[in-house]
Amino acid sequence: MNLAALGFAAALTSAMGAVIAALVSPADRRALTVGVATGAAGGAAVLAGAAAMAGQGFSLAVPWVLPLAGFRLALDPLGGLFVAVTGGVAVAAGVFGIGYARHGLAGRAAQAVLPVFVAAMLLVPAADSVGTFLVCWELMAVASLPLVLAEHRRRTEVGEAGLWYGVMTHLGFIAILIGLLIFAAQAGDASFTALRQAGAHLSGGVASVVFVTTLVGFAAKAGIAPLHAWLPRAHPEAPSHVSALMSAAMVNLGVYGIVRVGFDLLGSGQGGGQGGGQGWWWPLVLLLGAISAVYGILQAVISTDLKRLLGYSTTENMGLVLIGVGAAGMFAADGNRVLAGLALAAALLHVINHAAFKSLLFLAAGSAVHATGTRDLDALGGLRPGMPVTTGLFGLGALAASALPPGAAFVSEWLLLQSLVHGLPPSGVPSAILLPVAVAAIALTAGLAVATFVKAFGVGFLAKPRSEAAAEATESPPSMLVGMGVAGAACVVLALGATAVLPGVGSVAMLASGSPDPAVHGAVIVQLSTVAGSLSPLLLAVALLVGAVVVVAVLRAVAARSRQRRIARLWDCGGGPLSARMEYTATSFAEPLQRVFDDVLQPELDVDVTHATESRYLVQTVEYRRRVPDRIERRLYQPVLAAVRAWGRAARALATGSVHRYLGYGFYTVTALLIVLAVTR
Amino acid sequence: MLALWRKIRRTGRVAEPAPARPDTRESPAAQELVRELAGSVQVRHVDAGSCNGCEVEIGSAFGPVYDGERYGARLVASPRHADAVLVTGPVTRNMAEPLRRTVEAVPAPKLVVAVGDCARNCGVFAQAYGVAGAVRDVVPVDVEIGGCPPRPEQIVAAVRGLTGR
Repeated sequence: MNLAALGFAAALTSAMGAVIAALVSPADRRALTVGVATGAAGGAAVLAGAAAMAGQGFSLAVPWVLPLAGFRLALDPLGGLFVAVTGGVAVAAGVFGIGYARHGLAGRAAQAVLPVFVAAMLLVPAADSVGTFLVCWELMAVASLPLVLAEHRRRTEVGEAGLWYGVMTHLGFIAILIGLLIFAAQAGDASFTALRQAGAHLSGGVASVVFVTTLVGFAAKAGIAPLHAWLPRAHPEAPSHVSALMSAAMVNLGVYGIVRVGFDLLGSGQGGGQGGGQGWWWPLVLLLGAISAVYGILQAVISTDLKRLLGYSTTENMGLVLIGVGAAGMFAADGNRVLAGLALAAALLHVINHAAFKSLLFLAAGSAVHATGTRDLDALGGLRPGMPVTTGLFGLGALAASALPPGAAFVSEWLLLQSLVHGLPPSGVPSAILLPVAVAAIALTAGLAVATFVKAFGVGFLAKPRSEAAAEATESPPSMLVGMGVAGAACVVLALGATAVLPGVGSVAMLASGSPDPAVHGAVIVQLSTVAGSLSPLLLAVALLVGAVVVVAVLRAVAARSRQRRIARLWDCGGGPLSARMEYTATSFAEPLQRVFDDVLQPELDVDVTHATESRYLVQTVEYRRRVPDRIERRLYQPVLAAVRAWGRAARALATGSVHRYLGYGFYTVTALLIVLAVTR
Repeated sequence: MLALWRKIRRTGRVAEPAPARPDTRESPAAQELVRELAGSVQVRHVDAGSCNGCEVEIGSAFGPVYDGERYGARLVASPRHADAVLVTGPVTRNMAEPLRRTVEAVPAPKLVVAVGDCARNCGVFAQAYGVAGAVRDVVPVDVEIGGCPPRPEQIVAAVRGLTGR
């Protein structure tokens, strides 16, 4: 028994213990025990994942647990990475949940389901057969649903969000189910080993069907446009530590599925060139990624709901990851293994970075929501005096998410851009079009992400409070701060010590894509092999710090040399004290961008002016309403929903309520099936 | 864009030739300030209750024909950027405090210029119910320009007195 197996067993045991603790412990200590046990499970999972990434895999087959298929687990480096990420998020979310549960979430059910959700997310990357994978995947979906619905008594929107989430996640599950069952039927056995062997010899058409159906399911889980509709609904309505778990850990498993099926099981990473549909698979993935990245961040930048903004930002980041995955597949199909490894390493590093900063941002947002009771950025602001720690940590997360040095996302996006830029000159027409488009999409996304997080942090936390609730906000309990602190420390370590993380990620990418190591890792500097490019996040951060200190020191020296200082009133145009109504709101901050992207967003504006009764020239009230509907949703989902509704109305004639009739339906269907089988066989 | 370039080329230079340097009669204290400003004066304009006649003339003084900027003066958008405050109109009650704050917001060395008869002695608005007084009554004034409204040449001459060019 090695460290990976031991850690994994400890994680599952601890999660199980948390479930039991939630069911038996008294209400006043329930949140504490569950939080600690979930955090411990996460910590053990991080160890297990790290050990697996270092090469200590394990496999386990228990034939009697599941009927027919048996229960097969195996942890390889790729799975280990996702187990470690999930574990890390679980540590932060578990500890955070201790204090957050006072918000009316200390109930037995909500507390018991959380560790189940975490355990299911740990099991998915470790599953080693189709049956096990599907069972764990479904367990994850089912366990997350009650968590999304946890606050349904308080807000009516929660129910609708839960419905969207439940339906979409199960449609995705059906797609994965179909894809993997076709695959298993072709392979003759449901274990991943058998699939791996069969994957290389699959005919092009079948391989494409498997790839596309699983891609649909996994993309729906990853929140990739146009299957993202559940994400901006479910993430804001779920309790914040659940949002963090979903947004930082669960969506990653969609990426895991795409990489696992595409690179590993269908073998497009290793063999290269076999399989008929191979040519267009990865350009499709890249295109989907580029669309979601730009669309997600565009919706985020105009969003005024703090958690909805973060949810759309998840779509954006998963889009960036898919750009990397798609590019890796394209390079691998061209035989350019080094670049394939680099692109995949960048994508996986971005998964880790995104998990760190997104869990921090969701937890900090949860802390703010906990204190003020509102998610509306236009009603927040001025949280710094009351909640200094939360504000500081949200600022840290916003920096990490902005793709600016010295943030964490900067490193992974830099690596991604390096791989795409060095992919030129391209080898074919699709890559000649797609690679520059992807570079442009990443650049646009990075710019808009900065605007988004300046807005979220500046409008939401700084300046003056725009509502009474925001003015009276007080700091959250210590357990929540510790939970955020864990995520914040991860952000700092990933931003400054990327060189320590990259070798592990690089080796995972190496194994998954069959490439040589894409980068030469010094202690401080990353030097890309075979392509020119090097980066040192630590030196960059030090240089920035030194630069800032020098500038401030020079300014101080200059100021000290000239006349003595004068304390002057803050310039407020001479007209009395500045009020919160003079500040930028989230709506007004995003207005120029909304104007620039008018054609894409198509906002609905409604200005209603009421005149005084005495004279038309006197205005009594002006009402301004702006709605930016999700266009993809409107175009794609509403016709489908309308059709389903019409179908349901039409079917009402068949369902009259007569039991005899229903029995008759069953009888005739079975008879018809038997006849069909008798004729065709 | 091209049309704009064509217009610029066709119109050419419309600024009148610079008149001879006026002899300034500022107080010794103001002259000290002028020396310190060394020929470059950033000007913030404050309308303290004017009828906008003076504004039109200030606009012309800094327009293409009289071109006050060629003598080193420039209109700026905030007192924080300014060296001098150009005040027009009698100081109304509502503007007395903002005017005081504006002058206070200007970093030293600073100058206050009262433009027009109203700014000097309330003009036709003297004794009106909404008028707090002349500019001199609210903030210390260094230079005054007479006229109702003053001609652009007069404003340019006063500005040249400040820049010393």
